[in-house]
Amino acid sequence: MSGGDIASIFQGAAVTITLSLIGILIGLPIGLGLALLRWANVPVIARIVAVYVSMLRATPLVTLLLLLFFALPNIGIPINPISAAITALVMNTSAFNCEVWRAALMNFPKDQYEAAQSVGMRASLRFRRIVLPQILRVSLPGLVNEMSLLIKVTPVLAVVGVVDITRAAVRIGAETYDPLPPFLVAIALYAPIVFALVALQRWIERRQSAAEAAA
Amino acid sequence: MAALNKVLDVAGVSKRFGANEVLSDVSLQVDKGETVCVLGPSGSGKSTLLRCINWLERPDAGQIYLNGQRVGVSGAGIAMSDRDLSKIRTRVGMVFQHFALWPHLTVLQNLMEAPVQVQRRPKAEVRDEALALLEKVGLVEKRDAFPSRLSGGQKQRVGIARALAMRPDLLLFDEPTSALDPELVGEVLVVMRELAHEGMTMVIVTHEMGFAREAATRVLFLDRGRNVESGPPEQFFAKPETERARQFLQRYAGDTANGKH
Repeated sequence: MSGGDIASIFQGAAVTITLSLIGILIGLPIGLGLALLRWANVPVIARIVAVYVSMLRATPLVTLLLLLFFALPNIGIPINPISAAITALVMNTSAFNCEVWRAALMNFPKDQYEAAQSVGMRASLRFRRIVLPQILRVSLPGLVNEMSLLIKVTPVLAVVGVVDITRAAVRIGAETYDPLPPFLVAIALYAPIVFALVALQRWIERRQSAAEAAA
Repeated sequence: MAALNKVLDVAGVSKRFGANEVLSDVSLQVDKGETVCVLGPSGSGKSTLLRCINWLERPDAGQIYLNGQRVGVSGAGIAMSDRDLSKIRTRVGMVFQHFALWPHLTVLQNLMEAPVQVQRRPKAEVRDEALALLEKVGLVEKRDAFPSRLSGGQKQRVGIARALAMRPDLLLFDEPTSALDPELVGEVLVVMRELAHEGMTMVIVTHEMGFAREAATRVLFLDRGRNVESGPPEQFFAKPETERARQFLQRYAGDTANGKH
């Protein structure tokens, strides 16, 4: 395995990280938005969201990705591999995130919400100042769990030609007839990405409890 | 002249949950400075009445006026917008049975949140006033504590201070001592008594007969969602007019004789 090979695995790592980050950053707020629509029980729309989420949760990511990549051009919407990959990741993770957010919302104490109403907070303020800080905290472990799953599912993006860590390793293995080294490098690369995420979660949690202990 | 002093006017309010009629044509007027205690057996609609006043619950019939302004229904007879309703609610404070403090904020932040975020008053001024309120309820040393570190009685005193921080015209208490250990009830009643003394306008749903007897200017007795009897506490406790009220009071007679609040 040459230095160039290692460089190409690292390039794959850049792709994995970038696509995962984009998926997370877009999927997270969309998931929250979907959860809010269901929580607020917006007529008709809440039902549509429920069906959308159930269908996405029941659809394998690869299948969704292939559908987007091969079927959309057929109905006149051209799509490149990266766009298809991002769209599939966002759709998939937003559906799972929605359920994490929704669980936190459903368990949110009603009287705290009413207390916010009783002092004249409008809906947006109630959500921003009272609900969000608390559900964020409750949801964090579940959300980080979804994020690490998302990172580990990115190798399926290879089916439409995206070259991520795993795909880069496969290529090198095929060229050198020695698949062991590139796969070892690949595995060694996933761990720190996920650990970084978990470390971030720990840091946020520690900061919160430090603030409370100081009081 | 009396009309000018009228803070709250509840006119013929009814409310049902499914087949269950919780409130049936209940009316109540409260003048500035009055302390009205709402009494009655559990399930008699006391809390629902209170929650209708600030529109946490929508009555099916009847009207509610606060300082002469209709609550919950705008001029054209349609439901009030979130904005207008919120504006009215800033004038009505509420104290909850289970305190309902915001656990992610410190005691001081709980008091400052709405005056700063909703009323947009200057932070320094709100802070001074909040500290004065904490002084008043005897909790100024807990200002930086989170609610989880407080006892029930302390939580409820913070709850009262939080409501007062909005400078409301009317304060609603929804069974403020029902969730407390008996030995913590007293410290909350002390604060409420002081407010009554200062002339704060209050409607209090409570089971504390001793408190109602001495602090109320008027008592409203509800039974099965109906306003069965109302009047000055001396009269209600000494000579209740209805059989229902007599039976109700008899059940509490033992407690009062034993010196329970």
